[in-house]
Amino acid sequence: MLEQALQKHFGYTSFRTGQKEVIEQLLAGRDVIALLPTGMGKSMCYQLPAYLLDGPVLIVSPLLSLMQDQVDQLKQFGEKRVVALNSFLTAEQKRYALHFLHQYRFIFASPEMLMQPQVKERLRAIRLGLIVADEAHCISQWGFDFRPDYLRLGEIIPKHNKPPILALSATATQTVLQDIERYLHMQSPFYFLHSVNRPNIHLAKRFFQQKDDKINWILEHVQTTDGPGIIYTQSRSKTETLSMALLERGIAAAAYHAGKEAEDRQFIQQQFLVGKLEWIVATNAFGMGVHKGDIRQVIHEFMPANIANYMQEIGRAGRDGQPAVATLLYADGDEQFSQFIVTEDLPKMQHIEHYLANGDHPMRMLDAGEISETAFRVLHYWMQQESSEAVQKRLQQMEMDKYKAVHEMLQIVQATDCMRERLVNYFGQQLAEKTPNCCQNCGLVFEEILSAKQTVEEPEKILTWQERLQRILLSSLR
Amino acid sequence: MIFQQILLDIFLKLNNERTVSSAYHLLRGKRSGQTIQDVGIFSLHAYFSLLPKLTRQKFDGFVQLFAENGYLQMDDAGYYSLTSRGIEQARKGVPCTFDSWHYRGNEHIFYERLSLIVQALSHQSANIKAFIPIQRDEGIQYFARQFLLRHQYQSGALQVLLLQEITNSLEALAVTEEQRELLINRLTGVDLPGFTWQQLAYQAGRAEMDSQLLYISALHNWLGHIEHYPYLADIAQQLRISMPLTDSAYQTAKLFQQGLSLQQIASKRNLKQSTVEDHLVELAMNDITFPIEHFVNQEELVQVNKAVLSYATKKLKVLREALPHLSYFQLRLALARGGN
Repeated sequence: MLEQALQKHFGYTSFRTGQKEVIEQLLAGRDVIALLPTGMGKSMCYQLPAYLLDGPVLIVSPLLSLMQDQVDQLKQFGEKRVVALNSFLTAEQKRYALHFLHQYRFIFASPEMLMQPQVKERLRAIRLGLIVADEAHCISQWGFDFRPDYLRLGEIIPKHNKPPILALSATATQTVLQDIERYLHMQSPFYFLHSVNRPNIHLAKRFFQQKDDKINWILEHVQTTDGPGIIYTQSRSKTETLSMALLERGIAAAAYHAGKEAEDRQFIQQQFLVGKLEWIVATNAFGMGVHKGDIRQVIHEFMPANIANYMQEIGRAGRDGQPAVATLLYADGDEQFSQFIVTEDLPKMQHIEHYLANGDHPMRMLDAGEISETAFRVLHYWMQQESSEAVQKRLQQMEMDKYKAVHEMLQIVQATDCMRERLVNYFGQQLAEKTPNCCQNCGLVFEEILSAKQTVEEPEKILTWQERLQRILLSSLR
Repeated sequence: MIFQQILLDIFLKLNNERTVSSAYHLLRGKRSGQTIQDVGIFSLHAYFSLLPKLTRQKFDGFVQLFAENGYLQMDDAGYYSLTSRGIEQARKGVPCTFDSWHYRGNEHIFYERLSLIVQALSHQSANIKAFIPIQRDEGIQYFARQFLLRHQYQSGALQVLLLQEITNSLEALAVTEEQRELLINRLTGVDLPGFTWQQLAYQAGRAEMDSQLLYISALHNWLGHIEHYPYLADIAQQLRISMPLTDSAYQTAKLFQQGLSLQQIASKRNLKQSTVEDHLVELAMNDITFPIEHFVNQEELVQVNKAVLSYATKKLKVLREALPHLSYFQLRLALARGGN
């Protein structure tokens, strides 16, 4: 019985939506594409099979922070046979890991790592039990976070005795799903598509004439309604200034972005988790690996670059199933700024010329700081695949696509009909039933969902350093 | 601002005789002969490698601010001179002390070890078997694991012993209460997550950088006074730099101790004579027993010291003109000794 295995290895008594169906198909040797919302136990789809199949499970994960999070999670379950092959490994650690590769139960790897000859060779020599492509939408150039190296994942899939392949994603349109199936050489895969609709997340939007009005609205709003919540904004400096403004109003808030020290990032996550922080003001770097069920609000201070990003970010609210509100703020002309941001990371025409001018050493562009790493990765991949004219066309196309994505998001903002229905349709699905207080356009009364700001509790007694240290070390004696 | 005072102190000590960049290299701990000699000549041990990650942009921002405030003037060649206003401000001093020369960023390794050990012990007392380690570095994780095993953490007594050591040593330390709080507030335990720099600085009404500097100062002081606390001393093992030399200077030192002459060392190591001279100056600076009388006699030393006073400079060019019978190498040796 699968349930018994689940209980034995992970201590859970029942499966969550989709997990059992997916696992059964994998154990029967069939390829699977699973579209499951983040935070709904996507990883269990490969974690349990790892104990039931022969051979290590290879998980290809394009996002380092996510990889680390999953490794941590497994270690928390007491699993020691886990390894993460990524650029953080020293040469010595890598040699060791590769030598004993066949003895691990879980092998995590970044797409770049997979393409290194020695890694590739080692993986070919091992009989894998299952290959997992996590965040599989990154494999498609139509996905919002295209990673060219991911395309070559097909190269390590054995022709004979092929293990089953599992593609996981939280956000993929029909086009992306087709790309995934093709690039991973899947043979009539089993599809499990969870509805992208999250009925307990109510969709609000607010319009403003001036950008500053958005900030004023936020400051007013957080003083009258309860969190916990996340405020997404577009720049690091804005997370700092806005969180300071909240602190000055006596709200427990913190800024979060990729430029913070690793320890600070962990402190913020822990404080948020144990309820010592009410609001996190973050760039889109925040969210991955945050397992907090009771997030009641997500506020977008700016318009996300595309619908997939928007869905992923609001999807962090209300994972406990209780009502939550996602509020999107829009000031006239915001989309122009979004357009600027989204194409910033694309290679430009002059980069093609420089690439050619550098001959056999295109990497020099990176060293000279002429181009961002992301842009170089994309450029480098395509320049090896096709002529510079074709790449030029392709870049133009990519730019158009990014603009188009911003425009699609703008349409959601400007729509006067049901926002929820539009979002669900965008992912090729139909809305099964209507929710009360559905969205701004269908009618939404904040007061029916959000609780008013609680009267400020007695501030926690401030501990002296001696008391704090004692509580930390002797927590059992509290 | 504390950082401002540190930077002004460095400029004051450099006596308008170096470029602004040399202050930057000093703070970042650049391991070049020039920077290391400057440490000795201008007595800058407190600040060498104080902020290894300081960005040029940030540094330049402060220098720019100094110029705008009328603290210093810049010339095209990158040299500066402090104005009387700048000197006055610099003389207000730095409110905390540092010993960067002996730790050079290793104080952070000490704290990483400590915070992981404390986090592990916290979870042990709460009877929680697994947790997400606050330190990701595998070297730190290995150290913490070995430490816990070495001191029989299973017995459950380590918590109390470490608590006593930390409390007693911090209470005896000549730092402010704010600094003690900083050290403890960056620790993390079950249900008591650490505080971010933004939070700590906000509480104290300081810039983040200043809270970090007070914290580093507290760590340097703590590390200098923990030899009698066995557990803490164990955590601090091999972090103090006792023979602070570049690797190449270390090779030269070994040959010099075997009795080889300057020329012999140069030919044996296939180095230029001037490079070997750099190494010997570095040696003289670090080791007060280094026999500089091999190269400069007592009388010449006195002459150099007098010249430094009467010309109010440590500029080699000026000193060379005043004392033409001495070589640059001899002058540098004399200055290196003067710095200690």
